[in-house]
Amino acid sequence: MIEVQGLSKTFTVHKKQPGLLGSLRSLVRREKIEKHALKSVDFRIAEGEIVGLIGANGAGKTTLVKMLAGIIHPTAGDATVLGHRPWERHDGFRQHVALIMGQKAQLWWDLPAADCFLLLKEIYQLDAKRYRETLDYLTEVLDVRDQINVQIRRLSLGERMKMELIAALLHTPRVVYLDEPTIGLDLTAQRAIRDFLLSYRELHRPAMLLTSHYMEDIERLCERIIILREGELIYDGALSDVVKKYAQHKRVIAHLRKTPDSVERRHEVSLIAEYESIDDLEVRLRVPRDRVAEASSALLAHYPVADLSIEEPDIGTIIERIIRRDGGTEPGAEK
Amino acid sequence: MRAKLFADVFIIEAKRTMSYRADFWINVIGGLLSGIAIPYFMWSWIFQAEGGGDDTLLIGGRTFGQMIAYYIACALISKVVRGSDLPLSISSDIYEGGLNRYLLYPTRYLPFKYAQQLGAMVPNLVQMVGFGVIFFFALGLPAGVEITATTVAMTAASLLVANLLYFLLTYPLQLISFWADNVWSLIILLRFVTSLLGGAMLPLEMFPAVWRDVLPYTPFPTLFYLPVQTLLGEVSIVAWGQGLLIGLAWCVGIGLCGALVWRRGELRYTGVGI
Repeated sequence: MIEVQGLSKTFTVHKKQPGLLGSLRSLVRREKIEKHALKSVDFRIAEGEIVGLIGANGAGKTTLVKMLAGIIHPTAGDATVLGHRPWERHDGFRQHVALIMGQKAQLWWDLPAADCFLLLKEIYQLDAKRYRETLDYLTEVLDVRDQINVQIRRLSLGERMKMELIAALLHTPRVVYLDEPTIGLDLTAQRAIRDFLLSYRELHRPAMLLTSHYMEDIERLCERIIILREGELIYDGALSDVVKKYAQHKRVIAHLRKTPDSVERRHEVSLIAEYESIDDLEVRLRVPRDRVAEASSALLAHYPVADLSIEEPDIGTIIERIIRRDGGTEPGAEK
Repeated sequence: MRAKLFADVFIIEAKRTMSYRADFWINVIGGLLSGIAIPYFMWSWIFQAEGGGDDTLLIGGRTFGQMIAYYIACALISKVVRGSDLPLSISSDIYEGGLNRYLLYPTRYLPFKYAQQLGAMVPNLVQMVGFGVIFFFALGLPAGVEITATTVAMTAASLLVANLLYFLLTYPLQLISFWADNVWSLIILLRFVTSLLGGAMLPLEMFPAVWRDVLPYTPFPTLFYLPVQTLLGEVSIVAWGQGLLIGLAWCVGIGLCGALVWRRGELRYTGVGI
């Protein structure tokens, strides 16, 4: 459904010096800077997949989404969505694609949602029966039936986001791009939108590309993720594999029955694992994945262990480390 | 773009604009003050200085009454021709990223914006008809001016062409927002040039002979001078038809220019904004 090959985007931005003098100088001469927002990105997304697009601010997520939605042109590379080049904007493409941007209202601010929906019915040439059925279903599931006659600008953020979702899905698109759909929403609204997206996927099987800074969005909705860092694709695979690939250590925690009595015991264990902390009644070890059993045995042999637990590192923390390039790139770990 | 969609966009935009009552009345009062009161006081002074305000003194081929009728017609018509150009909605779409939605929808941007512009012009149309009836029919027409059903119908056709032409003139200028952040001054410059050369500031008979020879072949008289002359019954059907054809030819030329600027500009669009 979505195929991306070597997609790159470079923006030229003007640098302006601060202050009055800088403003005056920029009237005559402006310095240009090239910003490489996306660097030769390749991937595919199939029907029914929800893929999480993750990266720090400025990593190129929104640029990629905008290109695949046909809003901006690439500098190099190619992409096809439903067999069309998005930026050529054939109606056959636009008829089946939707983009929802949490940070930018797409609906007309001064109109009630009902008027916006009617206009979209005409834009997408939906027949009256299909339009009515889809609208009833979406307003029911998202619980906004009573708000559709209120001007968009008078709605709460959560209600507005739900209206944006309805507007984007009225024509039952086969490809849906979601750029921060839950940003700024309270926990209840976030959960409602996540549940809705899952049920929508079950019903219509669209390809979905989701960007979000909320790990819960990613964990609940996506089996597969793509990680971008400074415009480069550095990971494309199952969410569950991120832990194996990037976190090559586990944490083993032993709760002790009594205070250990010999310093030599520490040495025996340290040959296998690294001590994170040790106190009277608890020992924490950072253990290479392939030596967890060995480290556990050593702990049991040399300490008065009452209870033993093995922890995977938190996936959010791992991804955060990867996208910030501080410790997430253990040797040989990157694609 | 399909006619039904065009009509829907027009109606929605008209409803939206009509809901701003305060803006409607401020627009009425502001328009009347600048468009009618100022020329009235100025021409009263000039006619008095020249020796009288009766119907015997002619300046630029017009009596005082005909001159004021010209400016009243111009003030009312120019609001319909310009429509809602000043919010610079195309430029804002580019600058603030609102263009995103139009690029996503399976429809064409230019007709969509034109339907919106026509819808937003409805309050101006209401003002034109309302005040036109008050000024010309309730208060009476000056001697030598005749408004008939035919001239009204011809004026309506002139207004359609004038409105489209003005919109197409602003279009490539607003598209410069793909390169420059602010095009406000360009639109103000366009307003000034079109007002001057289109006859909204001075009737074109008052221009030097060379200008009078050249101006009919430019797009400007189609904007204000032709509809005003048509309404006041000052133009023959042949001259009216010629004027409309010249206006339509300019619509095609400027439309093509706009398409070219769009094609170059949209490659630079970044979709960012507020």
